[in-house]
Amino acid sequence: MIAARGLCKHYGPVRAVQDVGFEIHRGEVVGFLGPNGAGKSTTMKMLTGYLVPDAGEVRIAGRPVLADDLAARDAIGYLPEHTPLYRGMRVDRYLEFVARMRGVARGARRAAVERVIERCDLAGYTRRRIQTLSKGYKQRVGLAQALIADPDVLILDEPTSGLDPAEIVRIRDLVVELSRDKTILLSTHILPEVEEVCRRALILAGGRLVADGDLLDLTGAQAARLALTLVGAETAVLEELRGIDGVLGVEGPVLGGQNRARYLIEVVDRFEVAERVLAKASKRSWRVCELRHETATLEQVFLKHTRGLAGVASPAEAAQ
Amino acid sequence: MKRAWFVARREWSAYFSSPLAYVLVLVFTLVQAGLFYFIGYPIAPVPLPGLWDGGQASLLTLFTWLPLSLAVVVPAWTMGAWAEERRGGTEELMLTWPLRPWEWVLGKFLASWSLLSLVAGLLVLPIAFSVHGLGDLDWSTVWVGWIGASLLIAAYTALALCCSALTSEQLVAFLVGSLLLGLLWLLRMLVGLAPSGLAGLLEAASPQSHFLDTAARGVWVWADALYFLLLTAAGLVWNTVLLERRRLQ
Repeated sequence: MIAARGLCKHYGPVRAVQDVGFEIHRGEVVGFLGPNGAGKSTTMKMLTGYLVPDAGEVRIAGRPVLADDLAARDAIGYLPEHTPLYRGMRVDRYLEFVARMRGVARGARRAAVERVIERCDLAGYTRRRIQTLSKGYKQRVGLAQALIADPDVLILDEPTSGLDPAEIVRIRDLVVELSRDKTILLSTHILPEVEEVCRRALILAGGRLVADGDLLDLTGAQAARLALTLVGAETAVLEELRGIDGVLGVEGPVLGGQNRARYLIEVVDRFEVAERVLAKASKRSWRVCELRHETATLEQVFLKHTRGLAGVASPAEAAQ
Repeated sequence: MKRAWFVARREWSAYFSSPLAYVLVLVFTLVQAGLFYFIGYPIAPVPLPGLWDGGQASLLTLFTWLPLSLAVVVPAWTMGAWAEERRGGTEELMLTWPLRPWEWVLGKFLASWSLLSLVAGLLVLPIAFSVHGLGDLDWSTVWVGWIGASLLIAAYTALALCCSALTSEQLVAFLVGSLLLGLLWLLRMLVGLAPSGLAGLLEAASPQSHFLDTAARGVWVWADALYFLLLTAAGLVWNTVLLERRRLQ
């Protein structure tokens, strides 16, 4: 649905984005992560057709985003950072204006405006001037604007930045709801948000794509360990665990409260080995009360990938 | 094309809710009327008297001021047109919509031009009625003068919009716009000083010559209309290029 290939962008001598490429398929919800100045916003500006890349190409639904027929643009709903809106306009008039500009047919405009007002929970605020709204409501107007032409692709640049916790939750819930029928690329600094909303993450640092993958794989690849807790310290357990195929080493038993013993198992493949451990446990009638993957947090993954690359200053991006 | 119309409609309502626009119209009409009735046009080689002193039933003095006063009023009117879109980030959003930059440029131009022409009419018509009450006014000079002024406004607006598209600072847009239009106004002053070959060129390039010698006196000349239309078209094309170049920043 979104295909970026070899994207490069320089602002004067600053290389803001270098050779970034990825593909996002229909229905995916992808988190776009990176430190400040990593090139996220610049990449998004190229994806939406606002900036022309120095090299590379963006295709939306198979069509070049910069193509003359503007068809690719129809498929995109974009919410830029800082939510630019015509502040002096009333909410309903603004949304009507966007609907017109985005080519919603005259007969369908009213329905389109009503649909996004309902979806973004703006009822009761339609006659207010945008400048009188709180930041959270402005953000909803920004989302409503992105949704009004019912695009297949949503590109959201830090939709929750600067909002209070309650508003963050509301916007996040809305994104989750939208993810049922849209392809979404969402940039954010809030890592738990990504874990809650997205299945996949792209991590950008120093203008380069440093990680791209399923969240489970990204976090799992960091440290492959299983934690196994049994009731009753059985001397044979250690021996048995070490004998399982794919186990690299076992620590423990660490004796806990209520007669429980805990083992930490270093493994090659945490999914396969977990199955074997369970099979062994049922064969030996161990009283297993816990078996879990010890995964890295997204924070750890993020820091590992971005360490040392974080501070590529991009004055142009900072200025925008 | 439809989208240019939608843009123009939005701009209209934005101007109607802008205090700056009202202040500008008020100051412009009052100052112009004061100059017309009491001062005349003293800065020409052959000065024109004010209405009370000269006692001529003609609006020539009023029209003669327009190339200079509009060189200030038009950039003040359009200074925010692009600068504010850039500062507020709405430019970025609009340029990702399925919209061609020229449609946006045309819409903005139509809105500013039509409103400023209307303001010129609000200035000219009441004064024309007052002069009509005092003497024998030739109404054809009023209509031709107004249409001529409207063409002058078109060219000024297209150029001033370009100046707004150069920056995100309204003040800079205003100063650059006034400077550009002021220099165009000055061209005619230089005609007398320049060697004859150059003088002809300056005369041909000056907006003043294409307005003051003809439409302002009630004489309709198609070549002058064409001059203003070409200047307007050049401004609109330049503006579109400036907007397209934002994508390459």
